[in-house]
Amino acid sequence: MQLESPYIPVLTTIKSIVRENEVNDIKTFEFVFNDEEDYKKFDYVAGQFAELSVFGLGECPIGIASSPTEKGSIKFTVKKAGEVTAALHNLEVGDIVGIRGPLGNGWPVEEMKGKNIVIIGGGFAFSTLRSLTIFILHEDNRKNYGEITVIYGNRESGEVLYGDVLEEWEKRDDINVVLTIDREQEGWTRKVGFVAPIVKEVSPSPENAVAIVCGPPIMIKTTLDVLKELKFSDEQILLSLEMRMKCGIGKCGRCNVGNKFVCLDGPVFSQAELNKLPKEY
Amino acid sequence: MVQKMISKEKISDLIKELQKEFKVFGPVKEEGVVLFKEITDAKEICLDYSNSKIPAKSVLFPMIDTLFSYKKEGKGVKIIENPPYEKTVIFGIRPCDSMGFSLFKNFFSFGKYKDPHVLNRLKNITIIGMGCLEPRTTCFCTSVNGGPFNKESVDVLITEFKDNYYLESITDKGEALIKKIKSITDADKGDLAKIEKLQKDIESAIPVIEGLVSIYTKLDGLFDHPMWKMESQGCIGCGACTYLCPTCHCFDVLEENKQDGSGRRIRIWDTCQFPLFTLETSGHNPRTTKLPRVRQRIYHKFNYYPKNYNIIGCVGCGRCIINCPVSSDIRNIFLSVENMSFKTEG
Repeated sequence: MQLESPYIPVLTTIKSIVRENEVNDIKTFEFVFNDEEDYKKFDYVAGQFAELSVFGLGECPIGIASSPTEKGSIKFTVKKAGEVTAALHNLEVGDIVGIRGPLGNGWPVEEMKGKNIVIIGGGFAFSTLRSLTIFILHEDNRKNYGEITVIYGNRESGEVLYGDVLEEWEKRDDINVVLTIDREQEGWTRKVGFVAPIVKEVSPSPENAVAIVCGPPIMIKTTLDVLKELKFSDEQILLSLEMRMKCGIGKCGRCNVGNKFVCLDGPVFSQAELNKLPKEY
Repeated sequence: MVQKMISKEKISDLIKELQKEFKVFGPVKEEGVVLFKEITDAKEICLDYSNSKIPAKSVLFPMIDTLFSYKKEGKGVKIIENPPYEKTVIFGIRPCDSMGFSLFKNFFSFGKYKDPHVLNRLKNITIIGMGCLEPRTTCFCTSVNGGPFNKESVDVLITEFKDNYYLESITDKGEALIKKIKSITDADKGDLAKIEKLQKDIESAIPVIEGLVSIYTKLDGLFDHPMWKMESQGCIGCGACTYLCPTCHCFDVLEENKQDGSGRRIRIWDTCQFPLFTLETSGHNPRTTKLPRVRQRIYHKFNYYPKNYNIIGCVGCGRCIINCPVSSDIRNIFLSVENMSFKTEG
């Protein structure tokens, strides 16, 4: 018998496209699977990613922005950056996109049960944090987790993703949502300042907590310093790594950090796990 | 175990017989270079060679390999899978290169995702290896669990002796195959002991690099060692050491299109020695200079492979030494690693 190929994508159709920022280089695509069986097999956890195919151009790895609790379709937020993402941005509702996945390990939602969750995001790296937060807030799951704090920073108000869900979260009393932008802006009523000092201001307790950090390198670096100050241990800090990927299944050999493949063993690593690996990322 | 023999001049009869049932790949000389190619004319086979320029991995893992094909029709897309692989014999492969096949099998079947292209081909391949009568000065197979007559990764092992080739079946697959072949006769029992001695003599004459099999424990503490600066200084980043390596398997994935909307997704050999290998769309590159790229090649083979798959990612064929345009010698890197030295036995 021939083996099934993990390189062949399944076909999906674009159901909706949402323009996420003012400059219009970030869009959220919603896909429905052409074959219901493929959707059933697409069993994912928040923090995983998939390879999106535009036939004729190639594939790119993108984090899954929807939560497994949002049934019927899956969503990806894509920044126009290279050839494939630019081609995706040119597609319309009804166009066909190939998907391979879910890939990678995802956020350890089982191990996080019973803990206070501190979610810290910066810029468009918020997509898998959207997935995670919606998952945790779902009525079936909320009881399994303690206090939830979301700190989300952007350079300016026009770059804030997922305005509709953020508003919903702000209305709830079982989640503390802190939004910030780098500089004062007319009409902005939330916090102003970089993410790291805002984390210091909010000062989440490390006791029985997990901190999840996603964002641009400088934001991660400064935020990790603050978390250390707040006495978060390296085991309590989770990060999602990015490396150039092709196959997404640990075979093409380019996304390794030491003996770990980001696509297969990651993208989620604790700071303690990363301490054991070479600083080559 | 079945032992057979055939006189050298009749080798094309054997090839012709194999061709009736299999696609036969073997060493062929083209413009002065020996390569593994499909044998169309049995006379083409060139068994008087040290080793092929490009390893026989090109049969198992072609330079360009189709992952799948597709056809765009209107808004729809039809995906077309590869046809099944044909039954194949690889004839005359050196034991070091066939060790590379075992390594591919190990790596591509490891973990959750199985590579159907390599594994389906392997299932259909019978390996007829040919022992090495004259190992090159750059060979160090015996330092990495191999040997010039290593039987571990072949179905049949051929040893050249006087005017004959002696065939010994190693696996059931190999035994079933050589039992069927009419052009070979039972081995001359008187020669077998002499052949065994010859094999041992040749094997023991290859210098052994002591401790190479356990080098990964030493490498663990050497990631930031100044030796990598020295070792990478001369490198021009051509990637020959990786393209010609029987164990290197890194690939790039590309799309090939025709104007009629049909196309295929392919993978091609790629190399960690190129800066583009790890360049991200954002412009960030975790391995911007030669130093981390040279180090990556060594660590991948001698540290990450043993850690992840319990095997060494090197078969000691010496191609990276022979073909390096700046005469970089991987053995010098081993020697730089503490407490290692060359020792010649016999």
